[in-house]
Amino acid sequence: MTTPAPLSGGSTLWAQVWSRVNRPDFAYVPMLFGLALIWAVFQLVNPNFLTPLNLTNLVLQIAAVGTIAVGLVLVLLLGEIDLSVGVVSGLAAAVMAVLNVKSGVPGPIAVLAGVGAGLAIGWVHGTWITKLRIPSFIVTLAGQLAWQGALLSVLGNTGTVNLRDPFILSLAGTFFKRDVPGGEMLSWVIGGLFVSLYAVGLAWERRQRLQAGLAARSLRSLVAQVGIIGVGGLGAIAILNADRGLPSALVLFIGIVVFFDYITRRTVFGRSIAVVGGSPEAARQANLDVDLIRISVFGLASMLAACGGILAASRLLAVHQSSGSGDVLLNAIAAAVIGGVSVFGGRGGVWSAVLGALVVGSISNGMDLLVVAPPVKFMVTGAVLLGAVTLDAVARRRREAAGL
Amino acid sequence: MTRQRSLHASMVRRVLSTQAIMRITLAFWLVLVALAVGCAPPAAPTQGKIAFLLPETKTTRYESHDLPIFRAQLAALGFNVERDLIYSNATQDAAAQQQQAEAALTNGARVLVLDPVDSSSATAIAELAKARGVPVVAYDRLITDSAAVDYYVSFDNVEVGRLQAEALVAALTGEGNPQIVMLNGSPLDSNTTQYRQGAMAVLDGRVTIAQSFDVPDWSPDKAQEFMAQALTALGNQVDGVYVANDGMAGGAIAAMKAAGLSPLPPVTGQDAELAAIQRILVGEQYMTVYKAIHREATAAADLAYQLWLGRTPDPAQFNAQVDNGRIQVPAILLKPISVTRVNLRDTIFADQFWDPVEVCVGEYAVACVTAGIGIEEGVP
Repeated sequence: MTTPAPLSGGSTLWAQVWSRVNRPDFAYVPMLFGLALIWAVFQLVNPNFLTPLNLTNLVLQIAAVGTIAVGLVLVLLLGEIDLSVGVVSGLAAAVMAVLNVKSGVPGPIAVLAGVGAGLAIGWVHGTWITKLRIPSFIVTLAGQLAWQGALLSVLGNTGTVNLRDPFILSLAGTFFKRDVPGGEMLSWVIGGLFVSLYAVGLAWERRQRLQAGLAARSLRSLVAQVGIIGVGGLGAIAILNADRGLPSALVLFIGIVVFFDYITRRTVFGRSIAVVGGSPEAARQANLDVDLIRISVFGLASMLAACGGILAASRLLAVHQSSGSGDVLLNAIAAAVIGGVSVFGGRGGVWSAVLGALVVGSISNGMDLLVVAPPVKFMVTGAVLLGAVTLDAVARRRREAAGL
Repeated sequence: MTRQRSLHASMVRRVLSTQAIMRITLAFWLVLVALAVGCAPPAAPTQGKIAFLLPETKTTRYESHDLPIFRAQLAALGFNVERDLIYSNATQDAAAQQQQAEAALTNGARVLVLDPVDSSSATAIAELAKARGVPVVAYDRLITDSAAVDYYVSFDNVEVGRLQAEALVAALTGEGNPQIVMLNGSPLDSNTTQYRQGAMAVLDGRVTIAQSFDVPDWSPDKAQEFMAQALTALGNQVDGVYVANDGMAGGAIAAMKAAGLSPLPPVTGQDAELAAIQRILVGEQYMTVYKAIHREATAAADLAYQLWLGRTPDPAQFNAQVDNGRIQVPAILLKPISVTRVNLRDTIFADQFWDPVEVCVGEYAVACVTAGIGIEEGVP
């Protein structure tokens, strides 16, 4: 076990819970409570909220923004920001749509071209930020305007491009139970595989730490964690199968999250991101190629934005001039921040994007179910964002005070 | 001894609190999952609802006319609007509208009356409704390129463009070769194409279109910017301005005032917004197209009510078949009316579309008297 955190203030259950929550391992717990609370409230007010139909819709609604938020998590780990992700998501979708519909490029290649366009754009941002030492805030703000122009010019004077390509539409529009023969069984296999991989990963990590003589989590807490993920994951499959089945958008989204979670936690490159974000000087002294890491992260962020944009287009069956504008950027930032990635750099994980997207998406979905007027909706979302960041800042201060 | 005991106690507490967190979280999820599964068969709505989805709030007509009239007509038919009418406004965001439509269907909508933000991408909404056996009425704007649209209620949009252009040409009689600027509506809106089609049929060969813009989102601000730039480019030599709606006409007029044009050239509009009626009274705007939204919203409410009862609508009420690029959609198309200062009194005010008390305020009071619009007359 790590050095015990000083138990602050008395021995009430709440104080104990709070002191545990302050530990980085449990950074997700307050938000899980928050999400449970949000769900419980909406379910009480509108019994349609926790139905398979609505939860399936919720999953579809968050997949695109969540994917974009994964990229933002990486950028926030660096202690930087990317304000262009919304517009880049629209532009990448437009590149894909125009190539496919107007130029007749096959669907898969058009999708790759869209993703590639995202990567290239991010690489340009990153190079500018790193080599010319212009703040990321400025470069990506400029990018937001410039890429909006590119989006309009790519779409041309027809405005909206309707998507018909079966491959592109299948990205977000396939439901395993409804559209795939034997899909219901397959979705259980995918869910089971996911949970077992998660368990094996945790166990392996613990074993390595113990072998290296490092402090490791208790077996009990690991089992509990796997239990939670198992119930959550398989429960989700059961719920989705009560409607149209597991949506392909969710599989892609979670696949991306698992991949980047692995990258950030288990590879040298991924671990370097947080080091560069937390202390660039230390990173330099450790002989890390700080510039390359920064540029790559901006490249990945725009690439993930492109993936999100393509998912959104596949769901809307169209790309139009305001694709990626509106509240896409703000929701993605909110998702990344609410999920528990510190805006101060160097802390947090990719799974935060899932949690944050679920919180933002649930609020939006629930308020639509209650038919809340748009002005109120915006204000509530703003308040939740502020509340979550405040929670993060307070927790951070307490952690620092406790020397963690 | 004491030290040992307190150490022991703190360890116990540590384990306990770790477990407590895990247990509480686990319990929460279990309860939620149980709730979700328990509610699995959504209480089949015996009654069902009518969903009315409007696109934006920037143009005043939607929330000040369409919604209250639609609601009142349904109420008059005996429909419980408090309980069974779902209204959402997408604030000009196509993705938000998709989410609102999904919410409406989840809430048990049995009829969808949809005024789409984007005529093309609303296809996704129509298909979703179709898959759940919910009939879709396209309201005011058509849903294009989809076989899932059942009915269409709107104005004859080609006629709107024709009326605007005819009024403009009439106002320009006597000019040698009039030079005009054209401000069309949002390129996302299928109506824009039809307005332009109607207008061009009249304008072609009779005026010179010096500059033409498709204004994103029907934005008055952007219309003002475009107009200012056009005036600069043309050295203020503009004889008339074709503007597709009143909001943008306001922007164009502001730009011309800022450029010091006097007298202002004739400007067209559409929607009979309050501000436009006032501008027409004082001669800043030449005309607007009055679409009796009352009849449009009433017709849509009647149709929605028939569908809600599960009846097949009487084919006699449809006066047109509109091609949406995929199918011929049975449509109720209403006739728009051209309004200038001359017939303001007999149209807008006779229909009580606006109350003179609201229109004839401040500097407009004198103009109202001149035009024969008295506050007494407005009181029914």
